[in-house]
Amino acid sequence: MFSQLIFRRALTVLTLITVVLATGCDNRYYDEHMQMEVKRLDSDLDNRWSTSGVVINSITSNGPADKAQLSTGELISYIIGEYTIQNAQDYTRAVKKAMKHDSNMLLYIKGKEPLRIATRKLGDKVGLQVEGNGTVRIKQITPGTPAANSDDIQIGDVIEKIVDERKIFSLKDYKKSVNEFAKMNTSITLRTTELIGVKIASVTALGNLGDARAVDALIEILQNNRELALRKAAARSLERLVALSELNPLFQKFQAEDVNQLPADTLDVRHRESAEILGLLFVDLKANTATLEAPFGIQFRHRSASLHQKVSAGPLVELAEKYIHLDTEPEQEIRRACLSMLGTLKPVSSIEPLVKVLRDQNEIPGIRFQAGLALSLIGEPAIDALIAAFNEADTAAKDIAASALGRIGGIQTRDFLINALETTEDPAIQLTLVDAIAKIGDEPSLSALERQRDRFQEDDSAIRIFLDEVFSSMTTPAQ
Amino acid sequence: MKKFFLLIGLAFFIIGCGNQNEHLAKGKELIKSDKRRKEERAVREFKLAIEQEQDNAEAHYLLGFYNSQAFYEANQPEWHQASIAQRGQHFYKAYQQKSREYLEILVFDTLRDDDVNVQNAALEALTLISQKGGRKQLIKQLQKAIKSKDNRDRHDAHWVMANIGKTNPSTMVPLLIDLLNHKQMGTRLNAVKALGEIGSEAAIPALAELIESGSARREADREVPEVRQLAVAALGKIGGRAVPELVKITQNKGSSLRVDAIRALSTLGDEKAVQPLLDALKEKSSREVVVKLAN
Repeated sequence: MFSQLIFRRALTVLTLITVVLATGCDNRYYDEHMQMEVKRLDSDLDNRWSTSGVVINSITSNGPADKAQLSTGELISYIIGEYTIQNAQDYTRAVKKAMKHDSNMLLYIKGKEPLRIATRKLGDKVGLQVEGNGTVRIKQITPGTPAANSDDIQIGDVIEKIVDERKIFSLKDYKKSVNEFAKMNTSITLRTTELIGVKIASVTALGNLGDARAVDALIEILQNNRELALRKAAARSLERLVALSELNPLFQKFQAEDVNQLPADTLDVRHRESAEILGLLFVDLKANTATLEAPFGIQFRHRSASLHQKVSAGPLVELAEKYIHLDTEPEQEIRRACLSMLGTLKPVSSIEPLVKVLRDQNEIPGIRFQAGLALSLIGEPAIDALIAAFNEADTAAKDIAASALGRIGGIQTRDFLINALETTEDPAIQLTLVDAIAKIGDEPSLSALERQRDRFQEDDSAIRIFLDEVFSSMTTPAQ
Repeated sequence: MKKFFLLIGLAFFIIGCGNQNEHLAKGKELIKSDKRRKEERAVREFKLAIEQEQDNAEAHYLLGFYNSQAFYEANQPEWHQASIAQRGQHFYKAYQQKSREYLEILVFDTLRDDDVNVQNAALEALTLISQKGGRKQLIKQLQKAIKSKDNRDRHDAHWVMANIGKTNPSTMVPLLIDLLNHKQMGTRLNAVKALGEIGSEAAIPALAELIESGSARREADREVPEVRQLAVAALGKIGGRAVPELVKITQNKGSSLRVDAIRALSTLGDEKAVQPLLDALKEKSSREVVVKLAN
C-alpha cells in the first residue's frame, strides 16, 4: 500500500513536469532560417492595445538575424515576403497565397506607386487577368472588383511583383509565414514595432483633452501612419475634437461671464444636451442650473475658442471627405468617424461625396445610413441631391434617402415624399415614407397618410398596421 | 464533556434572561425565527426596548442594524428615523455605552455586512467616534484592520480611512503614508487607494517614490506592479500638483506605467499634459529589417 502511494505521487510529479515542459516549449520557437529564437508576447500585453506579434528571445551570433542587426526584445509584428511574377501562372499562385492570409496584398505596377488591394472577404476575386511570359501585362479587368475600383490600374500595365505583408498574431503564424517565404525568396523583411500602447493612449488622451494643438498631429497619423489601430484611434479622437469644437458657443457663454454655472434655460438645448453626453456639463432642470463638470469641463472652457478656430480653419473637411469612401479606406471604423465629422461640420461641399457613399452598393448598410444622417444634418442644401438619389438609386439607397428627407422636413420635401408614397409599390419603401411623412407631421402630411389608410383599408399588410400605429400615437400624444 | 458545556450554556442563558430587557429578548428571538416580516417586527421590539431602557447598548446597536426605511412610508416621521444618519446615531449610542466592545464590532463586523445602508450607517458612527474624542482607539482598530490577513477587513478599513481622511487629512494622510512600507502587499495596496480617494497633495512625494521604486536595483526595494499601477491612478485622482509628476512618468520610456499615467492625465484635463503627449506621438515606432537568408 505504501509503495502504491509513492507510485501515485511520482505519477503526479511526472505529469506536472510534462505539463511544464510542454507549455515551456509551446511559447518558444527556434527559427532555423534566421537563426534566432522567438517567443510569445507577455500575456499581459497580448491583445492589449491591439499589440500582436512575437518577441525575439535570443539570436545566434553570425547567423542571418545577427547580421541584419536585429536585437533581442524586438517585437516582430509583420513578416513581408515578395512574389516575383514571370508568367500568368505565377500571378495566379501569388495572388492566391497572398490573399489567403488576410485578404490583402500590395501590387507593384511598373512606373506606378505600389497599390494596396483588399477584398472584403476571403475568396473574393481581385479582378485582374494577366498574360505574357517574362513581361506580364494586364489583359482584362473584371467590373465591380477591387481592381476595377482603383483608377490607377489600366489594361496593358506591366506587373512587376506582388508583396505580401502578413500581420503576425501567434508563433504558428510566424512559423508558417517564414517557412513559406523562405522557399521562394533569398531574403525576408521583418517589420518591428515598439509597443504602440503608449501612442494609442496618447492619441485617445489628446482627443479627450480638446486642445487645438492636437489637430495637426492627429491628421498626420490618420493620413500617414501604418498602424491601423493608431489610425482608428486618431479618427475617433478627431471626431471628438470636432464634436467639442461645435460646442464653442456654449462654452463662450461661460467664458464671457467667467463662471462655471449658468441657468440651464439660457443655453441652447441641443448644445446643452451634447455637452451632457460628452461628459462636460451637469444639467439640473429642476434647479435650472447647468454646471461645468470638474475638472475637465472647467479646464476646457479656456481652450474652447482656440480649438474652434483650429477646427473651422483646418483641412478637416477635405480630410474627412477623402476617408469616407470604401475604395480609399478599408477600415469601416475610420469611414464612420469621418462621416460623423462631416455631419457635425455640415459643409455643403460634402453633399456630392456623401451621396456617393449613400449610393455605394458595396458599402455596408450602417455606413450608408451614416452618410444619409450626415446629409440630413446638412439640411436644406442637400434636398435636391437626396431627391435625385431617391429617384435613381437602388432600394437600400431609396430607403436611406427617404428617411433623411423626413428628418430635414420642409414643404418641398413633404410634397415630394407624399407623391412618392402615392406612386411607389415597394412595401419596404412605403414604410419608410410613411415614417418620414409622419415625422414632418403637419396638416397636409396627415391627410396624405389618411388617404393611404383608406387605400390599404382591407389589407392586413405591415403598412396597414404601421399606419394604425402612427395614428394611435398621434391621438395620444406623448408628453 | 459536551453535556457539561451545554449545561453551562443553559445556565448562562437563564441568568441572562433574568437580566435582559424583555423586548430586546423578543426582538432577538424574532430575528432568529423564520417568521414573516420578522425584521420589521423585531425593529418594533427594539424601539420599545430603548423606551424602557435608554442606555441599552445592544438594543441601540440592533435598531441601527435592522431599522430599514423600506419598512415605512416615505417622508413619515418613522421613515426619517430610519435614515442612515439616524441609524449611525444608534450605533454611536451603543459605542458610548460599551466602547471597546462595539468599536470592534463596528470595524470588523458591521462594515462587512452585505447591505450598503448598514455599511454607510457604520461609517457614519465611526466618523462620529473620530470627531468626538474616540479617535485614538478608532485609529488603533483601523490600523489593525488594514493590516489584517483578511482582505475584507483591509478593504473596509481603507474605505473608512479614506472617508474620514477627506474631512481630516492631517491625521490620516501621514498614517497611510507610513503604511506604504508595510510588509503585506494588500495593506500597501489599500493604503495607496485610500490616499487617492482622500486626494490630498501631501501624499504626492510618497506615491511618486513608490512608483519610482520599480527601477530600483535590488528586487527587494521594488514595489509590485499592481500597487505601482494603483499609485499612478491615485495621482490621477489627486490632480493639481500631481500633474507634473504624471507627466514625468509619461516621459520615462523605460516605465511600464506610461499608459496608466496618460489615462490619468486625460481625465484631469490639464493643459500641461498636451505637449508631452504630442511628443510621445513623435517617437519613432517601427522599422523594417531585411534579413538575408543563409541558404
